[in-house]
Amino acid sequence: MKIRSLMYHFKDGFKNIHRNRMFSLASIATITACIFIFGVIYSLFQNFEFMVKKAENEICVTVFFDEGLSDAQIKQIGDTISKREEVSSMHFTTAEEAWNNFKSEYFADFPELADGFQDDNPLANSASYEVYLNEASQQDALVSFIEGISGVRQVNRSEVAASGLESAARLIGYVAIIIIAILLAVSVFLITNTIVIGITVRKDEISIMKFIGATDSFVNAPFFIEGITIGIVGSIIPLGILWLMYSRIITYVLSKFSVLQNILVFLPEGEVFRVLAPVAIILGIGIGALGSTFAVRKHANV
Amino acid sequence: MIILEDVVKNYGSDVPALNGINLHIQKGEFVFIVGKSGSGKSTLIKLLLKELDPTSGEIFVNKKNLNKVTRKKLPFLRRDIGVVFQDFRLLPDRNVYDNIAFAMKVVEAPNRKIKSRVLAMLSMVGLLDKYKSFPNELSGGEQQRVAIARALVNRPAILLCDEPTGNLDPANSNAIMKILEQANKQGTTVLVVTHNMDIVAQMKKRTITMSDGKVISDREKGGYFYED
Repeated sequence: MKIRSLMYHFKDGFKNIHRNRMFSLASIATITACIFIFGVIYSLFQNFEFMVKKAENEICVTVFFDEGLSDAQIKQIGDTISKREEVSSMHFTTAEEAWNNFKSEYFADFPELADGFQDDNPLANSASYEVYLNEASQQDALVSFIEGISGVRQVNRSEVAASGLESAARLIGYVAIIIIAILLAVSVFLITNTIVIGITVRKDEISIMKFIGATDSFVNAPFFIEGITIGIVGSIIPLGILWLMYSRIITYVLSKFSVLQNILVFLPEGEVFRVLAPVAIILGIGIGALGSTFAVRKHANV
Repeated sequence: MIILEDVVKNYGSDVPALNGINLHIQKGEFVFIVGKSGSGKSTLIKLLLKELDPTSGEIFVNKKNLNKVTRKKLPFLRRDIGVVFQDFRLLPDRNVYDNIAFAMKVVEAPNRKIKSRVLAMLSMVGLLDKYKSFPNELSGGEQQRVAIARALVNRPAILLCDEPTGNLDPANSNAIMKILEQANKQGTTVLVVTHNMDIVAQMKKRTITMSDGKVISDREKGGYFYED
């Protein structure tokens, strides 16, 4: 298609939108609603995932060993554990480090109490590995594996609050998919109808165009431009609204639930919109193109 | 230029609309096709434009076998054929200039070419002074002249006219015929479907008479053939 034809099609496409402005507005409003809900769900989902990941990164399993195990044997156990795919990282704490940590945590205000132990280390058998996991859900499998290793005395697990978040996020995801699917169908239906009206109004013109020798792509191009423009406008509006709302909502939530400030850690808006903005615009274009395709296929064969 | 070989078109009823038509029209000819309503004239035009496909038989237009022209190639076939209808079919929201230019824009002609060709066509049909007028500001004869200009602006090899004088008085009909004759003299093959006996008699061109889907007469120098 030539550039001058493209200009002609753009002009025609915008003319169509203006001619059927009420239907165009209805289509834009539906796509706006659809993409707005998509954006809300996406932001929620991303933040949930971020919180879950953060919580998961803090989950670790602590491994203690039988008395009298040599350093070499402990290292061998460490090597066996580190080969597991559930493991993201490991940290070895010697008995001395464990005692020093204990002292600094509990006897910081009363160092004289620790002096009573002199050179004795009451935690002599408390060398341990802190094993960090890739995902919280893998904790059970890893713990039962480590418990089966000879020389392991005890395995301490973390409380998994993350799994609750994860299932909540999953539930929201399923509900969102259903709502978005319904809204997508409504959007495509409305765009199709808007464009069909444009085609009906221009039926004579299309018929003349075809007799004169216009190609299908030339005849259909303005209707695609109409649909895609509606789709783009319908995606930019909700993106703007979401951008304005995002930081305000986070500030509000954090001020209302300040107790949960450690758990409620939100992604910055730039992080969310880096993916959301292109996806929403592509979604808008897709809805517009699909609606145009249905309309043109059914009604432009004059 | 146009060849029909044993063409049959059946819409499903007992009597076919076209029943074994054989026709040869040479390049540069001016041909009238006459006949009563229902004789198959309009079906013939629709077949030549590939608006319809024949039930059997073959049609060649400008050396192209229409049975083999795909949907994708159809626009390019139609660019070889200009069409003029009885009801003009002009775009009411565009002025005379834009109605004619529209035909060139649709085939993606360059703008400077559009301007010079449209002005030449306006001059040919005698409407240079009315290029800004809208169709509802023109008489029937003027509207038909715009339609002819639009049909010819892309320099088609063939001009198909379906009852071009059907809505016009004798004076305007004669004016239209003069324009068609001029186009024919410039090399365009012209095919005119008409009921207008006076014009056919006056023009003395090859005249094909159809009845019940068949060619019942093909006269070299015109004259309406009356079937008794």
